Amino acid sequence: MSFELREHTADVAVAADGKTVDEAFGAVADGLAAAMCEAIPDDGDRFSFAVQAENREALLYEYLADCIYQRDVRGVLPVANRVTVDRADDGWRLDASARGVPLGAVDAREVKAVTYSEMRIEQDSDGWNAYVVFDV
Amino acid sequence: MDTYDADGVTLERVEEYVWEIPQEGEMNAPARVLASEELLDQIADDKTLQQLKNSTQLPGVQKYAICMPDGHQGYGFPVGGVAGIDAEDGCISPGAVGFDINCGVRMMTTNLTYEDVQGHEEELVESLFANIPSGLGGGGVVESGVETVEEILDRGVEWALDEGYAVEDDLAHCEDEGRRPDADPDAVSQKSKDRGKNQIGSLGSGNHFLEVQRVTDVFREGVADSYGLSEDQIVVLIHCGSRGLGHQVCTEYTREVEQAHPELLEQLPDKELAAAPAGSQLAEEYYGAMCAAINYAWVNRQLIMHRTRKVFERVFDRSWEEMEMDLLYDVAHNIAKKEAHEVDGEERELYVHRKGATRAFPAGREEVPSAYRDVGQPVIIPGSMGAGSYVLRGGESSMETTFGSTAHGAGRTMSRTQAKDEFWGEDIQDDLREQKVYVKAQSGATVAEEAPGVYKDVDEVVRVSDELGIGDTVARTFPVCNIKG
Repeated sequence: MSFELREHTADVAVAADGKTVDEAFGAVADGLAAAMCEAIPDDGDRFSFAVQAENREALLYEYLADCIYQRDVRGVLPVANRVTVDRADDGWRLDASARGVPLGAVDAREVKAVTYSEMRIEQDSDGWNAYVVFDV
Repeated sequence: MDTYDADGVTLERVEEYVWEIPQEGEMNAPARVLASEELLDQIADDKTLQQLKNSTQLPGVQKYAICMPDGHQGYGFPVGGVAGIDAEDGCISPGAVGFDINCGVRMMTTNLTYEDVQGHEEELVESLFANIPSGLGGGGVVESGVETVEEILDRGVEWALDEGYAVEDDLAHCEDEGRRPDADPDAVSQKSKDRGKNQIGSLGSGNHFLEVQRVTDVFREGVADSYGLSEDQIVVLIHCGSRGLGHQVCTEYTREVEQAHPELLEQLPDKELAAAPAGSQLAEEYYGAMCAAINYAWVNRQLIMHRTRKVFERVFDRSWEEMEMDLLYDVAHNIAKKEAHEVDGEERELYVHRKGATRAFPAGREEVPSAYRDVGQPVIIPGSMGAGSYVLRGGESSMETTFGSTAHGAGRTMSRTQAKDEFWGEDIQDDLREQKVYVKAQSGATVAEEAPGVYKDVDEVVRVSDELGIGDTVARTFPVCNIKG
């Protein structure tokens, strides 16, 4: 799994890939953390959260929105993101965990929100790719 | 030149600085770009024109969707976009307002001159930076419980007045007197309120900043007099929005609208334009929540202004009243408002969406505070750290041309990733210091991302606004001290 920060006139975009959807989604969240902070230290405790949605795109939106929400209410930068995506009764469920680096320990900038603009989730012979634009 | 071709989009010149994308295919109305050829070259360089064209597919768009001279690519609706959408038969789109609801600017005047401040810049920038929360996780001037957040959502700056963070005069010089009466705190989720609890009175990061500036030029003496502006005077500009609370409101309502109104979403080319039909329960709820977030943003800027007054008191050893630190005006540039506008000879109620665009009502409109009703509404256009900012007044042509709107800033031309490759924060700070601009930021990367070179020419943006008569230049300012997240 890997990610790249891509150019956008005002905001920032993350292109990520992974062998599985789980890996690709986790890589987007790692890209989100990288968009906020260049040097991430090793400290912080892991925490878990979960989201549900009716389709894959909505699930990725809900997941990244919750990463940002968790950042503000816990006061931590979610890094080293791990994800498990499963089918649920009426759509999809995503269980996530992250290491929460205290914001006081990093030189970080704010990403305001995830957007649907130009969002792509695609499968090819190597695995899964995702592209997400964030509002800065 | 009568037409302009830009990567699949052809614009026709209607008159000087007015370009039109004619209505075709799925478009519900034409689109217009207000720009000189120099600015149009920059606007056509990314996806701005396609995003503008997409926005005309929103049902109920009246006359034309418009891109201001500082427009650039955003998400869904472009930044610098204005759309007047019928409030009875049209829709309201959270994404076309933007995540940072009531991101905006306020300017405070003083009776200090540049000479009074020279020699104190270092102390001033350090003290402002130490006392005004900024960056990620920097807290707020007030950190409170949810009850306080709810009061702020409901009452706006009236809450600040009761708590001693404002004076009556501040309310009189704020758009809507600092309180949106349509605010519905119950339409704001618990999660949004939780994000808002510890950020009341904070700048955030990105392009938000607080700047001590000096007035370098006055272009319209009479209007400047009415605004209390004169050459060499020190003013303070504060640029920020509704923080995590507003971001969460937009995030959640975009999803709710997507789920509740899929039939409308299917007509739209970009999911980020997701809209609730006018008259639907969700349209009302979003409008109430957005208005509540507008109140939160006004309080946010009010608390930062209050803290700034205190810092000036300490640095200059005088009361803020003695320094006449009065609010000139506070304007929103990410907002949707129900407003009455004339369309095809009839007055209609519209949701005027302004995303990266500023209301610019001319003299005589009752919405303009009485202090400025005879001269027109003040419009504050923040520029980059190296180019300065402008004060305009709402122009006579704005109601007809732009639903009473003009630009909101310089507008970016370079991405944040490229900016970090091209500039070093420390180099930028050193260069600016040579121009006697003192900059202090939480993060060097923010300084690089906001380097003067990443922005369009604000002079050209303002010149086009003035030539079109949508916002007339009144005064120009240049930075003295700048703090950011």
